[in-house]
Amino acid sequence: MNNLPKSWKKESLPHKFCPGCGQALALKILGYAIDELGIQDKAVYGTDIGCSLLSWNMFDVDTIQTHHGRATPTMVGLKHAKKEAIAIAFMGDGGGYAIGAQHLINTCLRDDKITVILINNANYAMTGGQTAPTTLIGQKSTTAPKGRKIEVFGRPIHGPEMLKTIAADGAYIARTVSNDFETTLTYIKKALQNQIDGRGFSFVEVLSMCPVNWKKNAQESIEFLEEMKKVYPLGEIKTPEGEK
Amino acid sequence: MKRILLAGEGGQGVQSIAEILARAANEQGKETTYIPNFGVEQRGGVSLAYLQIDEKPIGYPKFAEADIIIAMCNRAIEAIKKFVQDETLFIYDSSFIADDKIKTLHGLVKKYLNIPAKQIAQKELSIKVANILFLGVLAHELGNLTSEQIKIAMNNQFKSHPEFKEMNEKAFDIGLNYAKERPNQEFIGSQPTEIQKLFEDETKAWERFPEYCKGCGLCLISCPQKAITFSDELNFLGTNLPKVDLNKCIACGNCQKICPDGAIKVTKKQ
Repeated sequence: MNNLPKSWKKESLPHKFCPGCGQALALKILGYAIDELGIQDKAVYGTDIGCSLLSWNMFDVDTIQTHHGRATPTMVGLKHAKKEAIAIAFMGDGGGYAIGAQHLINTCLRDDKITVILINNANYAMTGGQTAPTTLIGQKSTTAPKGRKIEVFGRPIHGPEMLKTIAADGAYIARTVSNDFETTLTYIKKALQNQIDGRGFSFVEVLSMCPVNWKKNAQESIEFLEEMKKVYPLGEIKTPEGEK
Repeated sequence: MKRILLAGEGGQGVQSIAEILARAANEQGKETTYIPNFGVEQRGGVSLAYLQIDEKPIGYPKFAEADIIIAMCNRAIEAIKKFVQDETLFIYDSSFIADDKIKTLHGLVKKYLNIPAKQIAQKELSIKVANILFLGVLAHELGNLTSEQIKIAMNNQFKSHPEFKEMNEKAFDIGLNYAKERPNQEFIGSQPTEIQKLFEDETKAWERFPEYCKGCGLCLISCPQKAITFSDELNFLGTNLPKVDLNKCIACGNCQKICPDGAIKVTKKQ
């Protein structure tokens, strides 16, 4: 295996993500998934606002950058116009679960045959670490300096579990963690394969570290990921009917 | 009128020293403007600071030609090219920027001053104060600001970290004396130290890429054999590069898999 995925654009390296960013790691794994499925020519990559937009020149595939969770409906439109395209929407928890939540929910309801990859790093990273829907109870952020309280911000959102309740039979929904290379690669490949086979909507949430905003070093951020795993259980939350 | 453009990687302290100079000049009754310019990234990316110091009021905070340019990293070169004019004094960190890179600018740049700031800072004090060396150099080149005044502004800037006060002042003096001893009309130039990329033995090869590595340290904790440690060599961002102990390495490839930057390659030989 090479150190860089073939589908990455070498000219734009080094990429713009912070040192130790889990999102960059997830994108690297997505790159390998695109390589292994051999879909670099057919894939269209839609990225959202927030830290995810830093990947606008990361892939050597057709790319579009949108705002506030609208990577999802943009990719839906693309898929309707061009059936053979492999539409990949990539966003953070802010775009997918907060300001753009309606797009994600309705896309799942309609069972549009696209793949959504959502990064859950438990905060709004690009704007400096504010409380997001995914921030853990008690976790400190710039808008909750004493820790997130249920009375003020409510409970953390469980996106995949929520989508499962409205997903159609052919949908694939999973949650994984960015420092687990093999599992993440498997899930992302399965999600893309689900779209290629035309079975239904596919969604992968990737728990990811944000050392800069968490104010943690590498070791501590991996430890915090373990905390996150207790709140957000990993695994394939829904597999398409007829598949084991 | 002095128009100063400072450029470096985000995190190297470009904006800090620009702000210090602006405040020091303002305290001495000069007309001053300072405007930062950087990308959307939280860390890294080329960071520019436009600084103007004048006796007369200043019309606009940006400018098209600079009198002094400071380049602290390789990636800054592209961004500052267009600001060079005949009289520009070009100050750069020769522990990062190679002769070859400067020679591409040779037709443009006529006055040089190179200082291996990273190397000096790392050897004498700490890598963190490399930007302060440039502040010392600038203090000499500007001339019309007193060192005392700049030191006061510097200590104010970092007053939340009193433990660095002494080190900052030492670094400032080193930079100041370096500039005094070096004539800036001639091109001296030195090569950055060659960084070893490939570590190999009969069974495996472990390769690192300083041009991609950001020094996050994920490879260190992913290694089951604790074979990876930080070395003294620096990556393009100016943070430490990892190195491997081949006697401990089992070529499992965990470090390559976890690296978000694709800066490590592990190969097993047959």
